[in-house]
Amino acid sequence: MTAQAMNASDAVGAASAASAIERRSRVPLYQFALLAVLLGLWEVLTRVPYLIKNTFLDPFFISRPSLIAQQLWSWTFGARAGFLLPHLMSTLAATLLGLIVATVTGFLVGLLLSQSPTMAKTLNPFIVGLNSLPRIAMVPLITMVFGLGLLAKVVTAWFVVFFLIFFNTFKGSISIEKHLLQFCQTLGATPRQLMWSVRVPSALAWTFAALPNAISFSLVAVVIAEFVGTTKGMGYLIVTALSTLNATEMFAAITVLGLSGLILVAIAERIERRLLRWSPQFNER
Amino acid sequence: MIVLDSIHKTYRSGATSHTAIGNVSLTVNAGEFVSIVGPSGCGKSTLLNMIAGFVAPSAGSVRVMDVAVQPGQVPKRLGYLFQKDAVLPWLTVEQNVGLGMRFAHQPAAKIREKVSALLGLANLRGYEKYFPYQLSGGMRQRTALLMTLACDPAVLLLDEPFGALDSHTKINLHRELHDIWRQLRQTIVMVTHDLDEAVALSDRVIVLSGPPSRILLDRRIDIAHPRDPYVVRETEQFGLHLRALWAVLGKEYQRIPDSAGQTLEPAA
Repeated sequence: MTAQAMNASDAVGAASAASAIERRSRVPLYQFALLAVLLGLWEVLTRVPYLIKNTFLDPFFISRPSLIAQQLWSWTFGARAGFLLPHLMSTLAATLLGLIVATVTGFLVGLLLSQSPTMAKTLNPFIVGLNSLPRIAMVPLITMVFGLGLLAKVVTAWFVVFFLIFFNTFKGSISIEKHLLQFCQTLGATPRQLMWSVRVPSALAWTFAALPNAISFSLVAVVIAEFVGTTKGMGYLIVTALSTLNATEMFAAITVLGLSGLILVAIAERIERRLLRWSPQFNER
Repeated sequence: MIVLDSIHKTYRSGATSHTAIGNVSLTVNAGEFVSIVGPSGCGKSTLLNMIAGFVAPSAGSVRVMDVAVQPGQVPKRLGYLFQKDAVLPWLTVEQNVGLGMRFAHQPAAKIREKVSALLGLANLRGYEKYFPYQLSGGMRQRTALLMTLACDPAVLLLDEPFGALDSHTKINLHRELHDIWRQLRQTIVMVTHDLDEAVALSDRVIVLSGPPSRILLDRRIDIAHPRDPYVVRETEQFGLHLRALWAVLGKEYQRIPDSAGQTLEPAA
């Protein structure tokens, strides 16, 4: 194909991409509309006396968007300004630390085991066993061992996320195509160069692909660790709200968590897209 | 240049054993272009893998440039092009082409210069920054060829390199390969299913039998070089060689049921 022909087909691609962007640009609109409808229903229905009396649509149980907004305002700029931030930061710090430690260790162990079939076979039942364990069941034990601070939360996040990263990396490294390695050998690659130029990048691609999921899992794990025992964090806010039966505080904390999750996953997807820009899955259309 | 001496290859699985290659001896001279054709399962690719040191023969010896090939060690200055292009998807075209030179720790300026010259040779100028997924199958295979050529191979092994391409792309690549070979005079051994391709490009065509394979025919293709892959197909000589080869190969195809060939090909 000549460069001109390529450019021509690019132009066609650009035209259809433009209409796709037009269609996509309406999506946020739909999303806001849906959000507005849901919040509106929530706000209105929790004001109908009949429903309050006879159903769960009682602000005592499910609060109300306007109350939640007031609560959030009070926590950030209002009466209790500065109350929220330390809790949020504590949760986010544990989430990111757990993610980083799990990604690094999961990647290294995945790569290592993929290079040694004997070790992989030996460890297989242990890994499968640990992985099929309901990992949340370990949280009280982790808290008992590592205390009520940051460490227990990071360890919980690590424990949950590690396997995700490990399995992805391991699968990626063993599925590497043999002819790719042989071809590079004919180009004169030493075993060390094969490792750094072929095996590691090919495994990393799979590691990166697990990042958006990993970050969600990490956040979930940290909040659960905070339920079990801590004095700080968004999970702690939810548990204290439970002890005072305060649904508004609970929903305020949940809202903050939901938004944090959205933002973190969006960032992770951005990073993934950037790192895997050579992969067709991010360049379709 | 390449000497295969009484090569045997037997695969054992449990109590049964299967002889894929029964006594093959072959000498390829320096600068010669030799094609190997034969029914599926006759061990053509296995022979290439033996020359490259990826597979050890059960009996017999392989020598490349007067050095005995050690299993697990690729001979120096040997290039190998697979049917499935082996470009690294996370590197751009120019990074891929320079990969072998980077393995050899050559200076960056030298790599840049050579990569640029090679890209010109294969009409890939302008695609330096493209990733493989942005290229057509033919362009990817050309990139793989350049990756090999950047290492100055004296021996080039081609395992059905054009098998996955459409016939138009294929013939254009034949022309490029022929030009490159005329300029650089590597010793080439190509495995193919395509008799046309074998006759159009080669100095010699070897016909292998089904397993246990041996050489049925070793025919010199005495068509003068340079050959234009488009024009050569119209010549009388081309038809003559094609018929002579087909007379042997066609009979062998009939003798061996095609489904057997698939199951007999060992996973090399």
